[in-house]
Amino acid sequence: MEVEAAKLIGAGLAMGLGAIGPGIGEGFVGGHAMEAMARNPKMADKIFTNMIVAIALAESTGIYSLVIALIILFVF
Amino acid sequence: MNIPKIKVPTDTLWEIGPIHISNAMFTTWIVMLLLLVFAYFVKRNAGVRPSRLQVLFEVILEYILEKATQAFGTEERAKKYFPLLFTIFLFLLIANQLSLVPLIAGTTLNGADLFRLPASHYSLPLTFALLCLLLAHGIAIAQSPIRYIGNYFKFHLFFKMKSIKDLGMVLIEVFLGLMDIIGEVAKLVSVATRLFGNLFAGGVVISIISGLTIFTSFIVPMPFVILGILSGAVQAFVFTILLTIYMSGIADSTRKPNEVEKQLA
Repeated sequence: MEVEAAKLIGAGLAMGLGAIGPGIGEGFVGGHAMEAMARNPKMADKIFTNMIVAIALAESTGIYSLVIALIILFVF
Repeated sequence: MNIPKIKVPTDTLWEIGPIHISNAMFTTWIVMLLLLVFAYFVKRNAGVRPSRLQVLFEVILEYILEKATQAFGTEERAKKYFPLLFTIFLFLLIANQLSLVPLIAGTTLNGADLFRLPASHYSLPLTFALLCLLLAHGIAIAQSPIRYIGNYFKFHLFFKMKSIKDLGMVLIEVFLGLMDIIGEVAKLVSVATRLFGNLFAGGVVISIISGLTIFTSFIVPMPFVILGILSGAVQAFVFTILLTIYMSGIADSTRKPNEVEKQLA
């Protein structure tokens, strides 16, 4: 296999596999936040802002894999 | 298909002696100028009867101050660190929305892009995180140097053991203390990479979608632009809050004895 092809496959794998975890995590956060909001609509604003922050934290592994994919593609 | 070339390093605009003025640096100066102008207008009309701009700033300021107070314990302590953290927050809040300004995306100078989002170059988030964390470490060292070193090299626990039964617990604690040194570096890298990755990815997605075909260059990128606005504001907030929590954690580490030391004492 050529080096160029291996780089492209590696970057694709890094991004695709790395996006699984954040997807599951953000689903959990969003789902439980919806549940909490439905039970206690008065708290909805506070829960929403906390949910956004939690989602931003959960997607960080996806961002790391993106950076790894960028390093594979553009630096090596 | 004319997808623009994706560049990770910045373009150099001018060279003054050995210093390369890159486009990210140039945009940073513009954001700083904007902040100064905003500050002037808010300060000029500041008073007991607030103007609209003052109300907006006070709402943002109180929200961040409340979060910092939760992290640092008392408002008095939070206010010592607050100016630095809030400046970083305001800077990122304005800098991340800069791509919404017309003409900022396509302007070129001698073939190089004139503007680039400051946070989409790795230097800026890394510098902010390094500045805050080093400052917190410096304050912790200045407060009590021996205690600070004792947080990472916990060999003094061996001398505090009462019986041989405590050996396992002490060994784990010493190992965890050494691992904390790696953890400090990981904090720095993770918090900087999160901001950089989000901002860079937002730009890449929009440029790829609008470059796919002629039909996708007008209305189709709009959801991604809206997502970019949201994620830019959220990431500025998350970056500040994480730095606040890390700084308070480092500053507190020299104050309280931890669990194992309490058990042995």
